[in-house]
Amino acid sequence: MLLPFFQWCDGLAISQAYRDSTYLFPLTQALHVLAVTVFVGAIVIGDLRLLGWGPVGQSRASITRSAGSILLWAGLAVLLTGIPQFTTNALTYHRSPLFVFKMYLLAAAVLYTATLRRGVAVADEGHLPSWVPKAVGAVSLALWMGVTISGRLITYYG
Amino acid sequence: MPSIVPAFGWLEGLAWTTALRESPFGYPLIETSHVACIVVFAGLVIMMDLRLVGLAFTHAPLAQIQRRLFPWQMATFVPSTATGILLFCVDPLRYYRNVFFLAKLVFLALAGLNALAFHLKTYRRVEGWDEDPQVTAIARLAGVASLLLWSLTIVSSRLIPNNWFK
Repeated sequence: MLLPFFQWCDGLAISQAYRDSTYLFPLTQALHVLAVTVFVGAIVIGDLRLLGWGPVGQSRASITRSAGSILLWAGLAVLLTGIPQFTTNALTYHRSPLFVFKMYLLAAAVLYTATLRRGVAVADEGHLPSWVPKAVGAVSLALWMGVTISGRLITYYG
Repeated sequence: MPSIVPAFGWLEGLAWTTALRESPFGYPLIETSHVACIVVFAGLVIMMDLRLVGLAFTHAPLAQIQRRLFPWQMATFVPSTATGILLFCVDPLRYYRNVFFLAKLVFLALAGLNALAFHLKTYRRVEGWDEDPQVTAIARLAGVASLLLWSLTIVSSRLIPNNWFK
């Protein structure tokens, strides 16, 4: 169904430039991993706090808010370094179950983080039963580690 | 000077390293565990660094962030290192001459030394951290150095599969 879109990505000038260069793709890949590391760090510090571990001296809201701006910047860097990798390999990824899985999981993780996780993190601490933030933190950790791990496995199993 | 290459050859020839190298799952699974542990470890180190340089979590006392993140950094550092050593053992002859692998080891060692020096220099007055302007200046410097060194470690690690300089 999306094949024409993948074909269009494959035909972009930037995709061709990436295919022609020895260095561009690996360097973009390396910066992608760096951006992912910063992003995951900002997720994990918030999730630890939601789970009742990590920086418990600070409120859930203050940790999540401060981590939020890191998430935005690192997320932007992840996207900018991820898109050319995608367009260059669009036709391969079109047939990759792992890539499709990663994208669905990523969409779920982004949606979850922007809605439920954020809502619970900034909610008044006394208003929620203590298991709620813990469960929200655990699910967030599972979603984002799932995205990271499936991304890494694309290299091996297509 | 005796060469270390025969030792690497011996390591590579062992039954278990050969089995892991030839298995379709052995190497990828260890490597993926390595990456999964590293992103959490280095991610939390970077969060600490951003606090050190004053870019994030500035409402939280420095010592508190440091103390509360440290156990999690250690809990992910140990499996990161274990899986890393395992990866090297599986294919030592491939890695020992790889420029990016060697660069990674150098950056890693410098990052470790930076963390150690900061720790030793400030640990005795850990409680007074946030008020002491001299410590704040050292903290900023250590934070910038750490951000730079860990970034270089990660980037050179990801470049290891590319043998650009043979």
